[in-house]
Amino acid sequence: MFTVQESEIRDLLNVLNKEYKVFVPAKVGDESKFVPYEDNVEFCWDRNVLLSVKDKFFPQTEPLYKFKTKRQNLEIEPLAPKDEPVLLFGVRSCDLQALNCLDQVFLTKGFVDEFYRTKREQATIVALGCNEAEDTCFCTAMGVDPQKGHGADIQAHWLQGKFALEALTDKGQKIIDTLKSYLKEENLEVPETKGFQLQPDMDGVPEKLKGMFDSDLWTEVARKCLNCGACTYICPTCHCFDMSQDVRGEEGFKYRCWDSCMFEEYTLMAGGHNPRPTKKERVRNRFLHKLCYFPERYNMLLCTGCGRCLSVCPVNLHITSIIDKVKEAN
Amino acid sequence: MGTMEQLTLQLRETAREILESKKAAAVIGWEMGTFWYSTAPAILTRPEETERLVWNEYCLNNLAKYLLDFQNTDEKVAIFARGCDYRGINRLIQDKQIDRDKVLIIGLSCPGMKDDKKARELGQNADIPLAKKCEECTYPDALAYDLWVGEPKEAAKPAKAEAKVFPEVESLEQMTADDKYENFAANYEKCLRCYACRNVCPACSCRECIFGNSSKEWSAKANNLSENMFFALTRALHVAGRCIQCGECERICPVNIPIMLLNKKIIQDIDHLFGPYDAGLDPEDKMPLGSFEFTDPEEFM
Amino acid sequence: MSVNEALDQKTPTENLENWQPKILVFACNWCTYAGADLTGLSRLQYPATVRILRVPCSGRVNPQFVIKAFQKGVDAVLVCGCHPGDCHYTTGNYFTRRRFLLMRRLMEYIGMEPERLQASWVSAAEAQKFQQLITEVTEQIRALGPNRKLRDVQWEQWNN
Repeated sequence: MFTVQESEIRDLLNVLNKEYKVFVPAKVGDESKFVPYEDNVEFCWDRNVLLSVKDKFFPQTEPLYKFKTKRQNLEIEPLAPKDEPVLLFGVRSCDLQALNCLDQVFLTKGFVDEFYRTKREQATIVALGCNEAEDTCFCTAMGVDPQKGHGADIQAHWLQGKFALEALTDKGQKIIDTLKSYLKEENLEVPETKGFQLQPDMDGVPEKLKGMFDSDLWTEVARKCLNCGACTYICPTCHCFDMSQDVRGEEGFKYRCWDSCMFEEYTLMAGGHNPRPTKKERVRNRFLHKLCYFPERYNMLLCTGCGRCLSVCPVNLHITSIIDKVKEAN
Repeated sequence: MGTMEQLTLQLRETAREILESKKAAAVIGWEMGTFWYSTAPAILTRPEETERLVWNEYCLNNLAKYLLDFQNTDEKVAIFARGCDYRGINRLIQDKQIDRDKVLIIGLSCPGMKDDKKARELGQNADIPLAKKCEECTYPDALAYDLWVGEPKEAAKPAKAEAKVFPEVESLEQMTADDKYENFAANYEKCLRCYACRNVCPACSCRECIFGNSSKEWSAKANNLSENMFFALTRALHVAGRCIQCGECERICPVNIPIMLLNKKIIQDIDHLFGPYDAGLDPEDKMPLGSFEFTDPEEFM
Repeated sequence: MSVNEALDQKTPTENLENWQPKILVFACNWCTYAGADLTGLSRLQYPATVRILRVPCSGRVNPQFVIKAFQKGVDAVLVCGCHPGDCHYTTGNYFTRRRFLLMRRLMEYIGMEPERLQASWVSAAEAQKFQQLITEVTEQIRALGPNRKLRDVQWEQWNN
């Protein structure tokens, strides 16, 4: 384990910033999110950021290609991907697990999303362990280890006023080697994350949900839902998108942007039929997707217990309470 | 606290009685949420469910919007209402979204609710301040009701609006044009366009919203500053004269956009241009933008 | 020039020397549109900076039309209709008056220069007033320069 004093972390980031575009968790006004590292950023080390790193790989709005029409001809002009190595410093385990979920969607089963892949391959990730859970956290219940980011290049810990770094991949080792002059070798004990208040029991839930499509539970829980998209847009694993175009005259850009299964238009068909006409069907789909369909297809849960939806849902329609209710249901 | 606990029991009893005697098919109230500082709206249909109802310092949600879910049912709905819920209900009645006859209003007097975000931050033992929307509240009690729960109040003084002045609006007005714009842009740069503000708003009851209907091509799903501003301004002007000032949009915004800054500006201007007006006090009121006077200020001559 | 072409202009930074304001005029069918016609028939010259969009009544002008216009790149919007009392539909313009008293204040509040959104009553006989109005507004906007506020720049950003 290699350590650096917290007060010297900026030196280290400055070095990294020469080779990478470095993003760090920061407080921006009332918000917290990953921002490009600059000398005057106000770090957010004590808790996870409100907006996850999802948009660094899967932006809310992303142009895909440009097209031009001339009479019968159609020209497609691909947009050159940015050639820019990125380093994300301080990604929490839950958000890393979320990236693992997105990897499944965008990179496996024979469907590779080039836009996602390019950005994913250009990124180096330094995970940051959590010493204390927030009251909305429940990652351990979702099988995530808050002190060990699965899929990161370096694991960092914020302990006793120092950052401790540990390489997890060769790429990570190389970075640590280049930073050696700033680092001191010492072993610090990584404590167990404390303060978890929520422990929804996921045991058997995905299997049980397979038989619960027609359960009355959904009518019940959906009643209070407002069908806003706060939970889906704040979620680090939600990945639905819509394709659209910005057309001017005979040219246009095809782009994609996040969509939300909570919106009425999401399943609206061209002929006007909507297979998910009310909030009951939409709420059911969201939770079945997270806890049943996704595990069925990719063998992993589409919830990482980051707790963001718990803090933003205007009506307290919490995934943890749904899991509890599924457990209780006959 | 003691009284709120007692009131909770009365709330439950009232709700149970309503459901048992079938005076209404559903009761809309509040139940405990996941955390000590949270409650959630509860829509109950069975008498035994009424045990879940609570009335505590964190009953923050405005309940009026849930009446829309009963637009197409024949039965009556009972709803607990403080001043803000009451004004929300009137909003829907005035906008012809629901008939007054279909709603059984159970009036409550509201002591003001506490700020749940602050509560989360400060912890259970701290002194938690009032929620911003409650601090600014001018009508804490339901002004008309079918049933009343709690200490019988003196007859509410006839509601009469006074011309309002909002210091935060006034201080913004002092800025230069470019500073104002920068400030506005910084607020709406953050917008996720989750539409929580729209969906919680009792004044947003369009069956089809241009922001949920990209085939109409008014608004793209693309998230950029221009589209976000288009949404913000269009919505502010759409609820102009109808905003009941419940502050729910601002309270629930996941990225803390001060949405009420726009609404308050419009409210303040309405008061000073067309005379003091508080929306949602009386469904028979003339609405400021749905009516006019020959003597209105003339600036376009 | 079609409305689309008129609205579809490049970034204002290009060609600032030859820049001309683009002003969108909502003109009510019964008064202002006829007034504008009369301006032409009377050979009264006014700057070619306006694009006139005919509406059945000034009361038809929804605030979202105005914001959309700014998004698409116009430098100013002018809402015109019959004088109060003269509305073809009796009272339409009284609603317009209330609406735009508020909207102008809101736009100023968010940082738009007040000159960029104006309203004025122009009757079918007021050819001279129309000429003067367009000349004045054009001068005001010329002094202010191109409008960048509210502008949708996604296209330009993606093109770079």
